[in-house]
Amino acid sequence: MDEFKSGFFIGGEACEGRVLVVDDEPDIRKVVKMTLQKAGYEVLEAENGEKAIEVINYGENRLLLDVVICDIRMPKINGAEAVAYFRSNYPRVPLIVLTGFPDADMATSFLRQGVVDYLVKPVEGEKLRSAVARAIEQRELARL
Amino acid sequence: MERSDHTKVAILGAGRGGRALLDLLHQIPSIEIVGITDRDPAAPGLQRAREIQVPVTTNMPDLISNHGVSLIMDVTGDPEMETYLRAHKPPAADILSGSASRLLWELAQHESKLAAELLQSEKLAGIGSFAAGIAHDMNNPLQLILGLAENLAEERDLTAVHEQARDIIEAAKQTSAICRDLTLYSRRASPHEDVLVSVNGKLDEALKIARYASKFHDIEMIKRYQPGVAVKGNPDELLHVLVNLITNAVHAMEDVGGTLTLETRLLGGQVDVRISDTGCGIAPDKIPEIFEPFFTTKAPGKGTGLGLYNVKTIVNKMHGTIAVDSQIHKGTTFTLTFANAEPAGQGCLS
Repeated sequence: MDEFKSGFFIGGEACEGRVLVVDDEPDIRKVVKMTLQKAGYEVLEAENGEKAIEVINYGENRLLLDVVICDIRMPKINGAEAVAYFRSNYPRVPLIVLTGFPDADMATSFLRQGVVDYLVKPVEGEKLRSAVARAIEQRELARL
Repeated sequence: MERSDHTKVAILGAGRGGRALLDLLHQIPSIEIVGITDRDPAAPGLQRAREIQVPVTTNMPDLISNHGVSLIMDVTGDPEMETYLRAHKPPAADILSGSASRLLWELAQHESKLAAELLQSEKLAGIGSFAAGIAHDMNNPLQLILGLAENLAEERDLTAVHEQARDIIEAAKQTSAICRDLTLYSRRASPHEDVLVSVNGKLDEALKIARYASKFHDIEMIKRYQPGVAVKGNPDELLHVLVNLITNAVHAMEDVGGTLTLETRLLGGQVDVRISDTGCGIAPDKIPEIFEPFFTTKAPGKGTGLGLYNVKTIVNKMHGTIAVDSQIHKGTTFTLTFANAEPAGQGCLS
């Protein structure tokens, strides 16, 4: 199963990749989804780290997910805890942090943990899409 | 302290000076004010004295011949007064008059200015810790605005255009509300006279501010408000007290979550304001120290140690009391008690 790549058919439609957006604000999930869907991505949502872990462990999602975009300040399991969980359990799924609070120390620590990008809200659609595309590209390269 | 150890003070003159002295001395537990007098029954100090239950008289000779009096403070400004007092005071009583009295009044003024400075410094130091909360609350609506606006540039469906434009307007308003809340909070407490303050309204306002200073995730909120309770005081200062206590309560539940309960009650002419958490609690041996200046259990750089000290100073100034009940790992309740300032059926200011 691990050879499934982006471009895989999901729900009968060709898609550029499957992205999980983790953010406690429904508005943010809505707008990130809108931005990525326009570029052909399929988007799943989770409202906190706990839900995100549920989503990735559901069905074959762990194999199908191409990128996780994760907020930091969230209830239940927060972003930092979720990032640590994803890195140790699903090290091959690229992670992008999308946070409202720019903090250089935090950014360094995330990048050191293997997070592929650290974006600060508000982020332009183009920048977000290219970060996602880049993350998927790196994943593909790692699999070769 | 035994009552016989009290310094029993009589205040002559209830103008601005008399009133300031009254407010200052009333806060000191070892001083008992046996009475205040003025020729003018409408003097501001007399009104104040009635509010805080200090005996008021227009009979000056009676007051100074009161045998319990150990100190007579003359702030009448009457040059003849000192001579009269020397002749008529009880032998054991001391007199503070003329320039000595004025000096004391000036010290009292200075002290209240310093207290205001300290309050403002502590407030501004606290706002530093709001950065993460403000950034979160401003950048989220900004992300929505940016994303929707980018989409609008290409959107052809008119219904979607209208809906997204409305969302953008809402998000912009939300962002501006954050700035308004914070600028209102960070300004210097206005030095105006005490007014009626709605306690429930201030609790809700404080809750909004405290959300910037602490993480409310995983915290359940319970509000039990008795409608229409009001106290007399400076609204900005009361807000500061409540923000402090709510922030502390939430910090005590950090990482583990819990329940924050805000409660107001009217009991026999008194207003009780309770702020309870189910957090880590305060060690019994630390409780006597928590209101001391510079006492803090927070990590260096996380707290000034002046929060509860300022809380107590303000509550005392409002002639209220503050009590704390805490159990390790169970939680803490702070209870503020004030005289009810809302006569039944009347509207409420501030």
